Amino acid sequence: MSDHSAKPRYGFLIDASLCIDCRSCTVACSVENEVPMDSTRIWMKETGIIGEYPNLQRYTAPYHCMHCIDPSCVSACTVSALKRDEDGIVTYDEDLCIGCRYCMYACPFEVPNYEWDRPLPLVVKCDMCFARLQEGQQPACAATCPTAAIKFGKYEDMLEEAHRLINENPGKYVNHIYGEEENGGTATLYISPVPFEELGFPIAGTTSPAFSNRLVTEGTPLVAGSMLVGLSGVYLTIKHLKEEAEAERLRAEQGQTVGEEE
Amino acid sequence: MNDTLSRRSFIKLSAITVGAITLGEMLPPFVAQDAIDSGLINAAGNGFVRSTCEMCVWRCGLIAKIRDGRVVKLDGNPDHPHSRGHLCVRGQSGLMNTYDPDRVLTPLIRTGNRGEGKFREASWEEALDLTASKMLQIKDKYGPEAMVFSSTHNLSQVQFENLLYGYGSPNYGTQRSLCFNAMIVANMMTYGMEEPARIYDKELQYVILTGRNLMEAISTSETGDLSDAIGRGVKVVYIDPRFTKTAAKATEWLPIKPGTDLAFHLALLNVIVGEGLYNSDFVDKYTIGFDELAQEVEQYTPEWAEPITQIPAETIHRIAQEFAAAAPNALAHNGWRTSNFINSFQTQRAITILNALVGNWNVTMKASAGEGSDVLGKPPQPPYPRASALRLDGVPYKYPIVPLKLGIFQELRDNIVTGQPYQAHGWFIARQNPFMSLPDRGRTIEAFDKMDFIATVDIVLNDTAWISDVVLPEASYLERYDPLLPVGDKAFLRQPVIEPQGDARSALWIYKQLGERLGLEDYFQYKDEEDYIRQQLAPLGITLEEVKSKGYAQLPTVEEEPDFNWDTPSGKIELFSETLSRVGFAGVPVWDPPPEPMPGAFYLLTGKVAQATQFASQNNQLLNKYSDEPRLWLNDKVAEDRGLEDDDWVEVTSEVGQVHIRLKVTPGIRPDCVYMTPGYGHISKGLTTAYGLGASDSVLHVTYTDPISGSQALTQTFVTIRKA
Repeated sequence: MSDHSAKPRYGFLIDASLCIDCRSCTVACSVENEVPMDSTRIWMKETGIIGEYPNLQRYTAPYHCMHCIDPSCVSACTVSALKRDEDGIVTYDEDLCIGCRYCMYACPFEVPNYEWDRPLPLVVKCDMCFARLQEGQQPACAATCPTAAIKFGKYEDMLEEAHRLINENPGKYVNHIYGEEENGGTATLYISPVPFEELGFPIAGTTSPAFSNRLVTEGTPLVAGSMLVGLSGVYLTIKHLKEEAEAERLRAEQGQTVGEEE
Repeated sequence: MNDTLSRRSFIKLSAITVGAITLGEMLPPFVAQDAIDSGLINAAGNGFVRSTCEMCVWRCGLIAKIRDGRVVKLDGNPDHPHSRGHLCVRGQSGLMNTYDPDRVLTPLIRTGNRGEGKFREASWEEALDLTASKMLQIKDKYGPEAMVFSSTHNLSQVQFENLLYGYGSPNYGTQRSLCFNAMIVANMMTYGMEEPARIYDKELQYVILTGRNLMEAISTSETGDLSDAIGRGVKVVYIDPRFTKTAAKATEWLPIKPGTDLAFHLALLNVIVGEGLYNSDFVDKYTIGFDELAQEVEQYTPEWAEPITQIPAETIHRIAQEFAAAAPNALAHNGWRTSNFINSFQTQRAITILNALVGNWNVTMKASAGEGSDVLGKPPQPPYPRASALRLDGVPYKYPIVPLKLGIFQELRDNIVTGQPYQAHGWFIARQNPFMSLPDRGRTIEAFDKMDFIATVDIVLNDTAWISDVVLPEASYLERYDPLLPVGDKAFLRQPVIEPQGDARSALWIYKQLGERLGLEDYFQYKDEEDYIRQQLAPLGITLEEVKSKGYAQLPTVEEEPDFNWDTPSGKIELFSETLSRVGFAGVPVWDPPPEPMPGAFYLLTGKVAQATQFASQNNQLLNKYSDEPRLWLNDKVAEDRGLEDDDWVEVTSEVGQVHIRLKVTPGIRPDCVYMTPGYGHISKGLTTAYGLGASDSVLHVTYTDPISGSQALTQTFVTIRKA
């Protein structure tokens, strides 16, 4: 079991002021990790074009697993398919996964993606290109970024660089390093010229809900058993609501698709 | 959530890419034998091979990761000055071009009517014999000029040119007039070179980008340079009617009225000349024609330009002063695809002159070596037969300034239709999709209808291949050699990182085979691809094996003296051009008002997105996966006035065509413009990913040719829209 408070060894620093939304990172990730064509480990978050013509702004940032110091997904995983390793990388073992999707509901960052169209679906998420790290290479997204918007290195260095950039460029960034405290701290750090809500980032608390989850997955059988019943109830309700919304959206899109063919 | 890539696009995608497959499942177990022989890949089929990207003409260096004999990842080569370890989104997607399930892997001969897409598979022997015999029949019956050849610039172009000039045709279509003729010809008239190199060093303070959308039309190293410069606080003024991703990064975005970039730059010249802000030492020593220029631009005040450009006079005035104050650490970027309006040539001249006046030569701009090399060898090159026929594109007898090398593709197409001064009967096309790239697709179809014979070389059934009589399958850029490409002090190699799939063959092989059948073997004096490159390397005394391993050949370093000589008639930078004047054009840039849309109509803008290369990459599943749906941009206020909403289907009509497309309502575009992403609306059902996506801008584009540079005026098309 990993230390729930140990600082990560590696970290990302993603600078929304440098991201040009080219999506080189997204393709690099998909290729490196052989991600199925209908799934992804990495998204683009964006403000959209905001303001009134001609006073406009637009910011974007790639978005993938935050690699929490105390990950909610790990605590929610009943079969230890998700783990936080000694370097602070939140890893996923598809051989252990039973496809319960608890991690998807536990993650405050809405990161784990699911292979919805597969008979035996797996979770899809960033593992910091673990295989590349072992070969001494940067993660695929950071290595290819043409504008160095994604930096990768030692966590401490990334955090220090984030503070330096904010301090040395007054007015350029909002005074907030997203990930420094979110969900108890994460290995992925962001700086941005606009508030993170405008980029579409989830507003996460500063403590991780992992502790209460751990009572379920790691606690004594008696406590865990009663908690599990409660948690399952909540889970099923949320699941139901989410599936309703999903079905509604699918119906709407079916309509659109039919419209396209006409 | 504000995800650019909503789950909707993935679901849409999985419906298109039948049985969504992972890369791993589809990679065939081929490994390049050469790479094994040279030790780059071990016996288990694992290793790394250095080669050159071909997803655009920037041609970055790449390192292909080979696992179990399959290419599984491409990374940027840190040794290459164009990639410096990075690859753009297209470069990252490159292996999906190679592993496209739609690849044509055997020669095809048409069996149905043209456009039906019915082909039968054939052997190379049969396909090449048929192509050669048709070409010889046309030559015998109508003369070699009746055969048109066209190809978009690539590393094997020199052998393509041997094929066409050896055959004796003067009719050569390239992408150039649809892209950069205005810029190249303006630079030649001013500096005597095609395109000076730009320098983004730490001293740089000020950049004016006239429609150069570097954050979307990505040239990996230059995009990185500009981004770094912005990060350092360099002021970047970006002129574009649309709020592109470059506009979002620029210090100042000026949504100029289309077609008036010339007026803006003339007004900058007016201020810089009128207020004495130019570098008079530089101007005296290194330029000619200042007096003629000063006399002409006196009338073009910022106040004059304000109502034309719709940029406030004080803004223009301020930018002129800022630019001059930052000089010589200031750069006015020419842009790249400069085929916008008939007056674009004069815009380009004004930009080159702006740079010259502030004396930034050898500071932010310098002479570019181009792609040629004096030190590399080449196979013996006999002289070409004399082509006695006039060129169908009217160069030079109708267009005296346009270099033969550039030509005017749209004029060539038009005169295939008119049959003047003679009728063309055959068309040989390589790595090009003129069906999509030429303006006015309706007329391009008419041109193809005139043909007795059409042959296309490509890796997939692109739209032109779809209507061809013979399709010759080329090996992809990861499966073949091309001639060495000099960049700086190195000559970089493109080499196969996997064996060609199926019967696909390199262009060097295809052109040689065809050349031999046409009796042109003297132009193809190489045994095979490796022999070609060995002949290139011979004067250097470097072995091919070394180059394969390093990815490049080191060229002898020449001590570079700052060069203040220009290959113009006067040997100086020509602010006034005697050459232009002598053939009846203005010797200095003059205002030439562009046509405007009728009330209620819009300028049709096009411009690149980062996830596509021209008309060739829309079928790449990885690019498709991470692309936005191509929609028509319309200003939000205008949409509201017209009762149109985001996602509405609209009918877009120009003088020559009509398309249906979905609407994107945005504040990020001028109210008098609409924008379409070019390259969509494919008609080939052989492109199963791209077919049915978006609409074609080429259907709408009206053909207008700039009489000076031969550039097609792509933005001089006006459209009306209504709810479909």
